[in-house]
Amino acid sequence: MRTIETDVLVIGGGATGTGCARDLAMRGIRTILVEKGDLTHGTTGRYHGLLHSGGRYVTKDPQSATECARENVVLRKIMPHCLEDTSGFFVTTPWDDPAYGDVFVKNCRLTGVPVQELSVQAMLRREPLLNPQISRVFEVMDGSADSFLATRSTALSAEEYGAQIWTYHHVVDLVREGDRVTGAVVEDLRNGERIGILCACVLNAAGAWAGKIAAMAGVTVTVLPGKGTMVAMNHRMVNTVVNRCKLPDDGDIIVPIHTVAVIGTTDVHVPDPDVYGIEPDEIQFMLAEGDKLIPGFSQYRALRAWAGVRPLYKDRDVANDRDIPRTFKLLDHAERDGVEGMLSIVGGKWTTYRLMAEESVDALAKRLGNTRPCRTAEEPLPLPPTEHQTTFRPPVRTTGPGASVAAEVEALQHAPLYWLGKHLSEVEHEQSFADLICECEMASRSRVLAAIDAGAKNLDDIRRDVRMGMGPCQGGWCIYRTTALLFERRGEDGLSHANSNDALLHFLQARWKGLVPVLWGDQLRQARLDELIYVGVLGADRLRPIAEQGGGLVTDNPAVATEYVKA
Amino acid sequence: MNYETIVIGAGLAGMMAALGRAERGERVMVLAKGHGSTHWAAGCLDLFAEADDPLGAINQLVQTRPAHPYALAGVAALEQALARVRGVAEAVGYPLVGNAGRNLLMPTALGALRPTAFVPATMVNGEARQLGDGRPTLIAGLHELRDFFPPLIAANLRAQGYAAEGVYLELPPVERAHDFSPVVVARLFERPAFRAALGRQLAALVRKGGYARIGLPAVLGLYNAVEVVRELQALSGALIFEIPTLPTSVPGMRLFHAFEQALTKAGARLQIGGWVLRGEGSNPHLHAVFSEAAAREQRHLARRWVLATGGVMGGGLRAEHTGVVNETALGLPVRTPSGRSDWFQARFLDEAGHPIFRAGIAVDAQLRPLDAADQIVYTNVAVVGSALADFDPIREGCLEGVALATGFAAGQL
Ligand SMILES: Cc1cc2nc3c(=O)[nH]c(=O)nc-3n(C[C@H](O)[C@H](O)[C@H](O)COP(=O)(O)OP(=O)(O)OC[C@H]3O[C@@H](n4cnc5c(N)ncnc54)[C@H](O)[C@@H]3O)c2cc1C
Ligand SMILES: Cc1cc2nc3c(=O)[nH]c(=O)nc-3n(C[C@H](O)[C@H](O)[C@H](O)COP(=O)(O)OP(=O)(O)OC[C@H]3O[C@@H](n4cnc5c(N)ncnc54)[C@H](O)[C@@H]3O)c2cc1C
Repeated sequence: MRTIETDVLVIGGGATGTGCARDLAMRGIRTILVEKGDLTHGTTGRYHGLLHSGGRYVTKDPQSATECARENVVLRKIMPHCLEDTSGFFVTTPWDDPAYGDVFVKNCRLTGVPVQELSVQAMLRREPLLNPQISRVFEVMDGSADSFLATRSTALSAEEYGAQIWTYHHVVDLVREGDRVTGAVVEDLRNGERIGILCACVLNAAGAWAGKIAAMAGVTVTVLPGKGTMVAMNHRMVNTVVNRCKLPDDGDIIVPIHTVAVIGTTDVHVPDPDVYGIEPDEIQFMLAEGDKLIPGFSQYRALRAWAGVRPLYKDRDVANDRDIPRTFKLLDHAERDGVEGMLSIVGGKWTTYRLMAEESVDALAKRLGNTRPCRTAEEPLPLPPTEHQTTFRPPVRTTGPGASVAAEVEALQHAPLYWLGKHLSEVEHEQSFADLICECEMASRSRVLAAIDAGAKNLDDIRRDVRMGMGPCQGGWCIYRTTALLFERRGEDGLSHANSNDALLHFLQARWKGLVPVLWGDQLRQARLDELIYVGVLGADRLRPIAEQGGGLVTDNPAVATEYVKA
Repeated sequence: MNYETIVIGAGLAGMMAALGRAERGERVMVLAKGHGSTHWAAGCLDLFAEADDPLGAINQLVQTRPAHPYALAGVAALEQALARVRGVAEAVGYPLVGNAGRNLLMPTALGALRPTAFVPATMVNGEARQLGDGRPTLIAGLHELRDFFPPLIAANLRAQGYAAEGVYLELPPVERAHDFSPVVVARLFERPAFRAALGRQLAALVRKGGYARIGLPAVLGLYNAVEVVRELQALSGALIFEIPTLPTSVPGMRLFHAFEQALTKAGARLQIGGWVLRGEGSNPHLHAVFSEAAAREQRHLARRWVLATGGVMGGGLRAEHTGVVNETALGLPVRTPSGRSDWFQARFLDEAGHPIFRAGIAVDAQLRPLDAADQIVYTNVAVVGSALADFDPIREGCLEGVALATGFAAGQL
């Protein structure tokens, strides 16, 4: 077995782990990050897409609210290209306790969450499809966030500072010598090679899987996986995030992100973060809740459903699951369990990932005798090659609680905030209409090729970079085109037709999984058209005998195949 | 206007039925909200995929599966329908070649080999038995056409033992950059200068590589493809064949066009753009249907009706999130797998197909719609094509065969 040495091994390629790797590398600490799937394979790629204002937590979890409010501003400055300044409403519908509005405002003030009440008429002017029976509206600094792009950008920065990012590498064991963790054994899922990594410290950022990692070192960390389901609708009925003004509950937020509106979420305890289903009644429930915010919501075309698992950390002294705080926690296993050489960072939100990384790396740096300060809150993230630096700058928000921050972000000039028309304006600018590989999501040939050249390991990786296959047709045209481009681009590096065929079959199946829960109406019709294309025109089903794994593309290792199939 | 027969739906099934009735001298109208699956499918006639001898397999199938649309229409109707559709295509100079007793194996735009019974003459030179004669084949496309990728097609063909190479040709100069969709490129192929420029490039490649055949995307002209193929053969010195691309299907549009001509000649009227919303009848007779076009409702009267609106894909059936499946034009009862949990297989490409796509309308031997108690709903309605229950046109590979056979049967009743 090959062995490699480093200062810190980060486990987990979600927002938290990637953020840690960047922070470590920026402080000059040698770092390797391992992730069993692609970046964002875990909860970070299956969340709701909300850049929290903090409003959701002001009453039940004030510490989280304050953290979110602060990080919200920081993230706008360091990753504007990943965030859309949608703003957010908390609305009191006829189904909500009218008394909560005043409590909400008071608690926003206490926790430092900027808020401003709006008239219902003003709300309806901005969002005419919202329920006219809404009685009160409060505006907060919510936004929507592309966690795929953000994680990719963070990883790129980490690499620029010297960190190594190993995707499709699975930690199979931690090495413990006496009271000390000295390294790990990882497996390259695409070829089965095992590699030893020796390190001064392991940073466990495995989210809902953190308990499984800790157990490899003989340490107990109780993470309760709480599954939440989301449904993307094919229309952006609102351009503002809409939350119900009540204590956090199921199906109470609609987030406009890119071309869709996503409703979520639920919270169902599951025994294992790798095995869960999307239940039909969850979907029905959320569509019904959507109708309360936007009358007729359930009649729009549902595009896709997915589910993620919350990494809720249960402290040893908490008796009741409901009292688990939603903030994050850094566990120093030397202090806590008498095991040196490992820290675990658990809980938290996407919005607070940078802060979690800062605290973890502060503790690690101290241990390694490194005194360099954290700079992740100041230095902006680089743009990955799939993103173009756009010249056109969208209008900047001038009203509401987010106005002053928006002006500050604009003044930074490094990249404008994402806006809905971004890709269209690029396509218009480049006159590349005739070169769109995925028409639904406006992914041009040059962006798809950039994703391939940046090292995408399969079509799903390309999807995460440029959103190809995420639109209404869920890949009807672009799966074929992207497979062929992958083959043409990588053919000389030894990627065979058989590997390409396997990538195509794999991705067709990956898209199918998230479709099944929402197949009715037009989306069912679309799925049937896709079947006609892949079976009746292309004969993809007949390629199975000449499809095989390899070329660094797809693996059938059960470690990465999250199984959720239920309709 | 009073019609003897109104056909709802302008796919192969509807047009075949309309042609039959019009040729019997009836006043016929085809009423449809859009084009049928001709415009999406490969433009070949699939009769039954999983057999070398489709006709033989269908002869057996009608014994073992009496509710299958082939069994209801009868094998004789299929055979007559095939003769008729070949006549329709021949009449516009676009012959269909093949044999109901032996499937052809045609290369796809992925380089897989797909069985089908009849193909347009413009495709036939690509049949696998010809490709396998040991002489090299060139697959050529244009970068600008995003629905056809020669290198992957050629690599997959080689993997199956066929000598093939893939190249991109240079797009001859065109006035301005438009979208190079299959239909746009097909129009470009109707220009002599465009063909000549590509022909010269092909000739040079043939001289260098000694190719016996050249596979091109099925965009070689909208309505004069046979001539285009002939001309490119003369210019290049190799046999030319078309390979179907992603939708929109140019070969499918040619078939549609052939039927349009035949229907016009037979005096039938084709009205596209009218959405049939409901029918009006008193059991067991349908009197009228209401269609909507440009937000205006129109009432249509006829003595006899043919429902040819297709299945889920055609829009004839629509599933609700509650698990109910509706027939969209007349509100006929639909046979459906019991609950939403039984609608799908776990694997997208499961050989068995997804049960929801066997949903459809049950009919008697005269194709009249039945309710759950097997009672006839309307005696003057015939249901044809993919709207019928108990079969999966795509997975069984019988989309066109069933459309033609049932359409033909309804045309003769
Ligand atoms: C339904 C839902 C909706 C949410 N919505 C929001 C929201 O709108 N806004 C917000 O701010 N937050 C939201 N959150 C919370 C947020 O998504 C998570 O807190 C955050 O994404 C966690 O990131 P992470 O990096 O800690 O974990 P993850 O993203 O889960 O990363 C852990 C990684 O570790 C990897 N891993 C596990 N085991 C191994 C192993 N043995 N070897 C190698 N790698 C391994 C996994 O593959 C995974 O990629 C939501 C959470 C859920 C569940
Ligand atoms: C904010 C946000 C917005 C979204 N908006 C949209 C939208 O507009 N439209 C849309 O369609 N979807 C949208 N999604 C959902 C998205 O398309 C995915 O459904 C979601 O990210 C979950 O991923 P998945 O479906 O691939 O998961 P799964 O199907 O569970 O896939 C599991 C993962 O494992 C990997 N994997 C599985 N098997 C293998 C193997 N054998 N080898 C290698 N890797 C393997 C796959 O690559 C995949 O990443 C959105 C998601 C988010 C977070």
